[in-house]
Formats: sequence, C-alpha cells, structure tokens
Amino acid sequence: MVMQPLAVLSYTTTSAAGLGKADTARALREERSGLAPNDLPWAPLECWIGRIVAAESVALPEALGAFDCRNNRLALLALEQDGFLDAVAAARARLGAGRIAVFLGTSTSGILSTELAYQGRDPATGSLPAAFRYDTVHNLDATTEFVRRVLGLAGPAMTISTACSSSAKVFCLAERFIRQGLADAAVVGGVDSLCHTTLYGFSALQLVAPDICRPFDTARRGLTIGEAAGFALLERGAGALQLMGYGETSDAHHMSAPHPEGDGARRAMLEALERAQLSARQIDYINLHGTATPANDRAEGRAVHGIFGTGTPCSSTKGVTGHTLGAAGITEAAIALLSLEHDFQPGSPTTREVDPETQCAFTPHGQARKLARVMSNSFGFGGNNCALVFGKGA
Amino acid sequence: MRIAIEAVGVLAPGLPDWDSTQAVLAGRQPFASAPLAPCAPASLPPAERRRSSPTVRLAIAAAEQALQRTAIPPQDMALVFSSPEAAGVITHQLCEVLAGSREVSPTQFHNSVHNAPSGYYSIAMNAKLGATSVCRGPWSFAAGLLGAAVQALCDDVPVLYVCYDSPLPAPLSDVMPVLEATVIALVIAPRPTAATLAAWRLAVAPAEGDVAWPGWMPGAWRANASARGFAALATLSGGAGASAALPLSTELNVQVARC
Repeated sequence: MVMQPLAVLSYTTTSAAGLGKADTARALREERSGLAPNDLPWAPLECWIGRIVAAESVALPEALGAFDCRNNRLALLALEQDGFLDAVAAARARLGAGRIAVFLGTSTSGILSTELAYQGRDPATGSLPAAFRYDTVHNLDATTEFVRRVLGLAGPAMTISTACSSSAKVFCLAERFIRQGLADAAVVGGVDSLCHTTLYGFSALQLVAPDICRPFDTARRGLTIGEAAGFALLERGAGALQLMGYGETSDAHHMSAPHPEGDGARRAMLEALERAQLSARQIDYINLHGTATPANDRAEGRAVHGIFGTGTPCSSTKGVTGHTLGAAGITEAAIALLSLEHDFQPGSPTTREVDPETQCAFTPHGQARKLARVMSNSFGFGGNNCALVFGKGA
Repeated sequence: MRIAIEAVGVLAPGLPDWDSTQAVLAGRQPFASAPLAPCAPASLPPAERRRSSPTVRLAIAAAEQALQRTAIPPQDMALVFSSPEAAGVITHQLCEVLAGSREVSPTQFHNSVHNAPSGYYSIAMNAKLGATSVCRGPWSFAAGLLGAAVQALCDDVPVLYVCYDSPLPAPLSDVMPVLEATVIALVIAPRPTAATLAAWRLAVAPAEGDVAWPGWMPGAWRANASARGFAALATLSGGAGASAALPLSTELNVQVARC
C-alpha cells in the first residue's frame, strides 16, 4: 500500500488553546493550557474542561438558521479563522464546486440540543418542544451539511463517526476519493462540542480526571474533555505541506478499553509508514493520542516504543487543548502541521513526571527543532485506530 | 469505478434473507410484511449479546448472512458501516437519564457511539483491518457504498459494507420516523472472483429530480436510508445493464449499473 502525497493547501484549528493557528501556536510555544475548572452551569461536575466561550454567541447566517446549535456555531467560528473561507473560495473558483468533497468527523454533533429538548418534554404527552429540529442539529451529518452549504460546495460529502478517531479518518477517505477521481480536492475536518452525554458518560466510565489531565504522567488520572473544530483543504499533487500516509486498524479487543500492548495502534502506525514509504527513523516527532487515562497512555506508549524505540521524541498536546473527542484527529493534525511550519516540537506542559511504564521517548517540554515529517495518532472506542503522517514537500 | 458484489445479506420485516428478497425483487413473490424476529447473532458471545444494543445485533445478524455466502474470511475484510442514526434507542435512553438523575451506565455510554455496531462486529469476528462508520442522513446508503468502493479499489481489499436503520422510540420517532428495521449487507471485492454475483459500475452524477422508491416497498421504509439500497439490489436480479439511482445529496446521485 503506497500513496502519492496530497497537498495541504490551507488549514485551521480552534480549541480552548486558541482561535486559529497563531493563537494555538503561541499557546504551544508558551506551554499555556487552555483548560480550566468546569464552570458550565448546566453540567456541575468536579472536573476541568476545554470550553470555547467565543463560540457560544456566534450567529448563523439567517438562511441556515435551522442548523443553529452549539456544534454548528463552533464550526462557523472555526471556518472564519486563518483565511480558510477565502482558500476554499479560491479552490472552488479554480476547480468547480462539484469537484470538492466535504468529509467531517464528529462523535456527538449537536446532541446538546436534544439533551435540552428532553429536559423540556411536555409532561403530559412526553413530546419534544415544537421548535426542536433533529435533522439539522443532532443528526451526525448536520454539521457536515451545514459546512458544505456555508462553503458553497457541491461535491460528495459525508460524516465519519468512529468516536475519537473520526476526524483523523476523514483524511484517509479524502485520499481515496481523490485517487479514484471522484473529487479533485476535499475539505476535511471535524467538530465536537461540550454536551452532557460525553461529560457524564466518560465520568461514568471513571475516565475523567478530577484535576487537569496529565498525559503520560506517573500520576495521570484520566482525561479532560474539550471542544474543538478544525478544517484542512487537501488537493491532488505535491505541496509545501503534505499528507504523506495513513493507517487504519481495529483492535478487535474491547469496546472501551485499548489492547493492553497497543497492538491495533502499532499496526496503524506501521501501515501509515508503509503508505508514506518511510522508515520509523524518518519520523521526527509523534503527536500522540495521549488521553491521560492510565490504560490508554500505557498501551500507546508501548506500541510507539515497539516501532520507534526511544529514538523519536513524542508528546501529547491534550493538556493544552483537552481531549476534543471527534475533533481530536483534526486538532492534532493541525498541531502536527503547525509543528512542521514553525519547526517547533510541542511539549506536554501538564506532565510533571513521565511514567517509565510508557517506555517511549515522551518529551514534556517543547523545543525548536527542524522537523520534516511528523506522525499524529488518534484512537477511539470500538478499538478504532488511525495514524496520519504529514511532511514538508520538496 | 467497478466493484464486484460477492454476497448479500438482508433483514427487514417480510424479508428475512437474501433469497426471499431476491424473489420479491425479481417479481416471483409478492412482498408480504411479517414481523422481524429479534436478532441473536451467533458470532456475538452471550455476554456481548446482552450488553449490545438492538441496532448492533441487527447489523451483525445481516452481516453474518452475507458472510455465510462467501468464502472470503471476515478477517480479510475492511469494514464500512453506514447509518443515519446508529445510536437510536440508546440516545433516547441516555437523554432520558441526562434529563433526570444523570446516572449514566458505562455500557450505555459506550453503546452510544455511532461505530458501536462495527466495534462489536470486529470483536466478534476478530476483524482487525480498518473500520469506518459513516453517516449522511437520508443519503447514508449511497455515501457508505462510495466509501466502501473507494476503499476496496485503493487498498485492493474486500470490504464488508453494512447499512442499517433501527426503529426509534417516541419521542425521537416524531422527528426521525424510523418505525421498522431495514438492513443491507454486501461483501464487495475489488475485482470479480469465481463466486461474484455481479459487477457494478458506480458513478456520481447530477440528480435530475427525486428518485422514485420501488413500488413494492412499504411506505414506512421511505424514512430509512438503508432502504435506498433495495433499488441497487434489484440490479442483481436483472441482466447486464440493469441500473439504479441512489441519492447522494439534493444535487447528486450515485448511478449503479450492472456490468
């Protein structure tokens, strides 16, 4: 399995760490976390969160009012950063709206609206409030269709929802669509926003840290949930920044726990290297999935060590952004691309003492370093794994 | 794009398998609705069967049918699952709990992910290749089929494609009226084998007006994205050149032609 590199023409990321690339790069360089103690009035849980307050007051265009929900407000806020709308408009003018696909990942879409609608059910009939819309708000495809309309694109579109690997896998789908000639370019990305389902659900699984998350730390106690949105515009051919490879596997082990030695993660990374025709030595930095749950970090660290030994520096940026679930893939793909653009290897500012059990070369402090090729890992429930490789073009 | 259809599985009220479906699609038997028996997929260990949701059991039961009709081992197939609403009844249960005590059960939460059916399936079959779960609202059948086809061709790998709708309880059914289950499972190969049922040529084309539903199909199934697949299956009963249009968006169709 080999692939020709795809150009990354434009990309953008919005999370609690920052709105857009410059803010995010600054947070990474200054080792500043965007996470804060939970202040959501509607979900009083003892934990930290990565909240994007600026998204909450975003107004959707009137014609798309039916799509109004937290997830789509966040999507629009992110689309407006870094000149992304202009980049897509230029590609649309050059290639035609029908030749650009839209593939987004999410785990919960606008489910917060449904949760609130259930709080407002008619006590007598049990019916939902009359104003509630399912198809444009809660359906997992709602944000994809919203983004497609905002961007004025008419190519094939769909949503991938494989929990926390969702918005990594959209890169793989885009490469295949472009290779088969179904599109010349693709907008890929992901959007996930804070909701009761994930906050209370991960708490029920005892996977949420009471304190801020500390990836790969000896004393790590779980993840911190954040919200995020991000997008990338991919096109056939080489570019200054490129998608070079990807790997997708299943653990076939457990619905919510990783394979103890990270077997599926290992196979995903090897497949990504094979597609990119690179050896492990040629990867300069790995942005880990690194959720900071005891089991996940141990499994991933050992899988990375099995392939890369201690020769490749790696870190998790979830202490900066939080675990943004269905948006984690695009958030960390964007961080990988930022690291290439800035020749800066991000650290993990909330990690205090690296757990030796994780074995790999976890590097808590960021540093300026020439980077040519980087890997980004994303793993989700259902044992769903995806590894991406990005690099600089010749 | 040209793909080979190796095997089919079907579950719907009145269509318990591919043989009975073929008889209806070919006009040899009239369609007669009959309640669908609760699914108890043999490949799911008893504990997983208990823990899984009805949607998971439905999707896996249809997949098992297709597997019984092919010599390709399940471990050799990549997975593409597609559904407009995979969590369904679990979403309803979670939202009820979250509107009250907020004491969510851990199993309920992991069952709520859209890829729970492909996750349980991969565990049951020890299927370790990539698994993708797709949603494209009412256009989920065509979108997932394209996703499966490009993966089969690019990776030169057989793909198990399953598209499903599972009934929703009130009040969700007021806003997403899926009242009956329909599932179609296809084993897709990148090129014809000795056992190939038919080859399909797939193309994306502009939509010209609404695509008509098959005349024999119950009206209730028009809420089901997976039921769009019956038009594609009908080409397997027709001769070379038999074709079908599958809506991909308001502007696009996937054209399926038997070749």
